Amino acid sequence: MSEQKNKGLSRRGFMKGAAATAGAALGSGVITGFPTYWAQASKDITITHVGSIYTTNPTVAEQANKDLGFTVQMQTLDNTTLINRLLTQAETVDVADFGNTSMGYFKNKGVLMPIPVKEYKYWDQTVPLFTQGTYADGKPYSMQGYAPIKSQFWVDESAQEYSPTPTDWLVGIPVMYNADTLGVRPDLVPHKVTSWKDLLGSDFAGKVALQDGVNVGVPDAAVALEAAGLMTYVDKGNMTREEIDKTIDLLIELKRSGHFRSFWTNFDQSVQLMASGEVVLQSMFAPAVTEVRTRGIECQYLPLEEGSRGWYIFQSAMAHLDAGDKLRRDCVMEYMNWCNSGFNGVYFSRQGFYSSVPDLMKAQLPENDYGYWYEGKAATADIIDPFGKVMEKAGAVRDGGSLWDRMGNVGIWNTLMDEDRYLVRRWQDFMAA
Amino acid sequence: MGTRRSASYYILSAVFAAFLLFLYGPMLCVYLLSFQGPEGGMSFPMRGFSLVWFETLFTAGGRGVGDIHNSFIRSLRLGAIVAVLTMLIGLAVGMSFRRRYPGSNFVFYSAIISMIVPGIFVGFGISLTLNMIGMRPQWWYSGIGAQLTWSLPFAMLIMFIILGRMDKSYEEAATDLGASSFQRFQYVILPLILPGVIGMFMAGFTSSYEEAARAGLNIGTGNTMPMELTGLLGAATTPVMFAVGTLTTLFMFTLVISTLLVSARLAKRRQLRLTAQHA
Amino acid sequence: MSSMTVSPRAASWLQATPFTLIMTCLVMVPLAIIVSVSFMDFGFAEIIPEFYLGNWTDLLRSSLTFDTYKTVFRQLAIVWTITLLLGFTISYYLIFHVRSNMWRAIFLAACAIPFWTSGPIRMISWVPLLGREGLVNQALMGTGVIDQPISWLLYSEFSVIVVYVNMLTMAMAGPIANSMAKISPSIIQAARDQGASEWQVITEVIIPLIKPGIVVGTIFIITAVMGDGFLVRAMSGNQMNTPAVAIMNEINAFQFPPAAAKSVVLLLVVLGMVGLLLRFVDIRKELAR
Repeated sequence: MSEQKNKGLSRRGFMKGAAATAGAALGSGVITGFPTYWAQASKDITITHVGSIYTTNPTVAEQANKDLGFTVQMQTLDNTTLINRLLTQAETVDVADFGNTSMGYFKNKGVLMPIPVKEYKYWDQTVPLFTQGTYADGKPYSMQGYAPIKSQFWVDESAQEYSPTPTDWLVGIPVMYNADTLGVRPDLVPHKVTSWKDLLGSDFAGKVALQDGVNVGVPDAAVALEAAGLMTYVDKGNMTREEIDKTIDLLIELKRSGHFRSFWTNFDQSVQLMASGEVVLQSMFAPAVTEVRTRGIECQYLPLEEGSRGWYIFQSAMAHLDAGDKLRRDCVMEYMNWCNSGFNGVYFSRQGFYSSVPDLMKAQLPENDYGYWYEGKAATADIIDPFGKVMEKAGAVRDGGSLWDRMGNVGIWNTLMDEDRYLVRRWQDFMAA
Repeated sequence: MGTRRSASYYILSAVFAAFLLFLYGPMLCVYLLSFQGPEGGMSFPMRGFSLVWFETLFTAGGRGVGDIHNSFIRSLRLGAIVAVLTMLIGLAVGMSFRRRYPGSNFVFYSAIISMIVPGIFVGFGISLTLNMIGMRPQWWYSGIGAQLTWSLPFAMLIMFIILGRMDKSYEEAATDLGASSFQRFQYVILPLILPGVIGMFMAGFTSSYEEAARAGLNIGTGNTMPMELTGLLGAATTPVMFAVGTLTTLFMFTLVISTLLVSARLAKRRQLRLTAQHA
Repeated sequence: MSSMTVSPRAASWLQATPFTLIMTCLVMVPLAIIVSVSFMDFGFAEIIPEFYLGNWTDLLRSSLTFDTYKTVFRQLAIVWTITLLLGFTISYYLIFHVRSNMWRAIFLAACAIPFWTSGPIRMISWVPLLGREGLVNQALMGTGVIDQPISWLLYSEFSVIVVYVNMLTMAMAGPIANSMAKISPSIIQAARDQGASEWQVITEVIIPLIKPGIVVGTIFIITAVMGDGFLVRAMSGNQMNTPAVAIMNEINAFQFPPAAAKSVVLLLVVLGMVGLLLRFVDIRKELAR
């Protein structure tokens, strides 16, 4: 029942947004006056969008099929299958999304289509994180790790190398982003946590967890090691071999002393660890913290001295589109524009992710939701997620505050290091220890 | 064994009961937690008691459900086809092993290899091969093929066990009575190995239903159940996953019971026909 | 024999053809690719087709290989021992103590049903059972056996073994039960008549006769434990490294050549073990018996 009511609610928000953006975003065929033959011809086209559970789901697919004249088929895959699929069978995919940890794989591969900036309608309204490489106030952000600007632009139309400065060719359209930090069970910790170094503190021994892997877990550990004064790095997001060796050796020592309770591989494990009390302090994703809280368990997401770990998800089109049917390519561009225009952005904003075009969201989200998720305001009514579940009670304020309070202090970005090969090798030693 | 129950009978019964409890322990959690209240999570304590997660599953579009409905249907379809093929191909290869023949070692060890090579590599290798010859993976050939590499070795071993149990004298008697090889198969061998044939069917179905590593890259654009579930674990999950578990168990239970009943019936009918013909 | 149009050998070939075709095209060809890839260099998610021995030298020299095999052999030995004892006990009970065929079928089905729930779901369900706030700890605390929750029940070698035993006991019990069912009751009766105790019947009559079953079960256990990375990762909380886990880690990092080299080694090790077993008991010969 609440689900029904809620669908209505978001539909209303959606319609409101439609009016606000003067129809640029929606109902493409009718409003923007595409010739009818286009709609006629495109109705037989089915495009395939593969991605993670955050970006591909039946609710959004259903809405896309309603709004657009063609069919969008979505497939949710785990990251390994997704990247393998793109690299070995790109022609079976039209649109795909992935994050900064995967960007390093697409250089010099010829798998992705260069997206002309002028074909993406909302580039002017996109946050400067992506367009300029700065925060909203124009200040540059940390360049440790795979910062957004490092993989946003192709050098030229050949789509081989990333340009660190703006060009006319986009690698992908930024969809969502966020800043991650440590989650904590305030009821179970011995003292207030203010720095990443507490992750390594002896008073938390046996009760902390890291994400398993070299793209997120290692940067987190590096931030903690540096904060604890045990290490210094030139670039934590892109370590030298020597730094890797020292880091892994320190981590092995900690592991042998039983410091880590677990290493989680997926969202659900991180929630389980926290909710079941196995772990009281760990690096986790923002929605995971919310998820723990909705189970009636106290859990906080902490702004820390050293800043947060930022990440983003791009949506890219596959290179075969440029060589193939023009109509199909048009449909794909139409769909990618649609994805950031409203419904989809509203849908994931209400789960705690940030849209790359927050102004569009402001126009379409109910005021209370936008105030809570983006502006750091106290909720005036219960905050309800797109599925009808109460996420926060009225009066709640988002951990860490507004979009730019949270996003404005990124210490490091999710990464894929140049020495990945060596790092993976040493990470194996760590796991075996 | 004697007519009176010995002490060992009671001890072993207790061991078996304890084993069943151990076997069902995690499943009990699944069954119980699938009735978790609307506010509850995927671990204890239970926060109320409700059917809300089953409801979410069927009303679709609910949280954390993804495309379970369609992936379940895809998995059933794939599983059924793989099961039938496993049964037929497994039966044939099993029969071939009743004689020594040049190359039998290759056949045997290729099956053992298939059981050992990490599934993801088989899947990746198949996908690379398809890529080289310019074919697009589709569930109905590469998906099925990839899964057969997993189910067939089990079928082969099941056939070994079953054929090993078979008393060859029946077969010889049939030959002496002038039965053709086909009649011998139909009237003598098949009834004797029927449980194994059904076993192969079930093994084929189960291995397909569970399998993702090999099929993952070769299935094309429609996820199967295990792929969808793995994908779902990447985000907020709810007891809806456990509701899926409870329902699949119920579904499989019904399937197994009906298969057992049908096969018992078939065996009976065959026996009747056999007796009638010999009378 | 005169009515037969194909020779027995040709018949066998025909019967084995579909199976062999599938195994050749979908296993042996990919395997050949894996072997050749193991001799290649690699970059970011790409295989560089140049001859390169680094994957092999690293694999054969590093202590990592030794450590991972040490871990998996230890786990295998424990799991094999427990599943063998448990599997034997269960089969013995079902075959020789349960008299009604119907009950036997029902018991067997009861043992199989838990396996028809998707793997990912089954794996998650161990947390509410073994976790600090799980059922087992609650039960132990409720009965006053312990006053602090035990944390080594989960994310430890203990939980890895428990889950292996849970999942693999039936793989051992099945073949053993099949071999037992083959034993003619008259043999056991004869032993009984000569005054053999139940224990003597087990050790002197049954065990020698069920060797093929034990071998098949052992092959199942070896391939499952050696080849699995998923279970170890989930149940150890990613704190353990076995050869299969190492392969998974590299595949997840899209570093195929070293993963390929590790796969080839793993394959050879397991093939060696299976081959050795088959030297003692030729399960195919048992068919001709």
